[in-house]
Amino acid sequence: MPAALDISAYPPDGMEIRLIERFTALKGRRILEVGCGDGRLTFQYARTAAQVLAFDPDRASIEEALDEQARLGVRNVAFRLGSVEHLPARGAPFDVALFSWSL
Amino acid sequence: MVHALRRAGQRLQSGGSLISIRPHRTLLPSVSVLTPSRRLPVARLTTPGFDGRQAAAEAALARVVEEGGFTLAGVRNGRFRARLDNLSQVRAYLELIAPPRPRFPPGGRATLIQLWRSQPRGSTIEIAESIVVTALRRR
Repeated sequence: MPAALDISAYPPDGMEIRLIERFTALKGRRILEVGCGDGRLTFQYARTAAQVLAFDPDRASIEEALDEQARLGVRNVAFRLGSVEHLPARGAPFDVALFSWSL
Repeated sequence: MVHALRRAGQRLQSGGSLISIRPHRTLLPSVSVLTPSRRLPVARLTTPGFDGRQAAAEAALARVVEEGGFTLAGVRNGRFRARLDNLSQVRAYLELIAPPRPRFPPGGRATLIQLWRSQPRGSTIEIAESIVVTALRRR
């Protein structure tokens, strides 16, 4: 089996966060992430956010995110299988809703 | 898409931000060969089947602004580059991109192979991609 390539088709870590923070701070905020995938972007900002609720409809991706969450010991993120349409219309408000490559 | 934006908006506090990150619709990925002394453009990759999705995303964002629930806070573009060591890494890189993957235009792959084989040791292949970040503010 060939060795795994250390390449990613996503932007380098930090680039998307810098672009987002041109518009809004993420530190200390309650964040809703729609289409979180395996948490690639989530883990870049989660440690500074207050709370994160992250959705993705792909079960394998959510399982990867949960494994990584356990490995990193990140406690303020709730990963959920599903889509934003299943999010109850009422509930605690968020400061930021992030559609990460999911529109 | 509009429904997802509306639902997210229902849970945003007034003044909260809705951020969309996605590939740029018109700044298509480009492939170049980088020799130690120069950059040799090869092709812009095409994104068949993707343009419609991107146009729909833009339309959905515009729709929720028109409906009055949001104001447009701004749009920013970003560009990033991957440096690849050989042709097989190009293939692997394109496989990593979520479907529908970009493709070489007719003749583009052959041009890359021809250019690559004639370049000196130490050359690399660069794929540059662009993203767009749209920020809306909840009224």
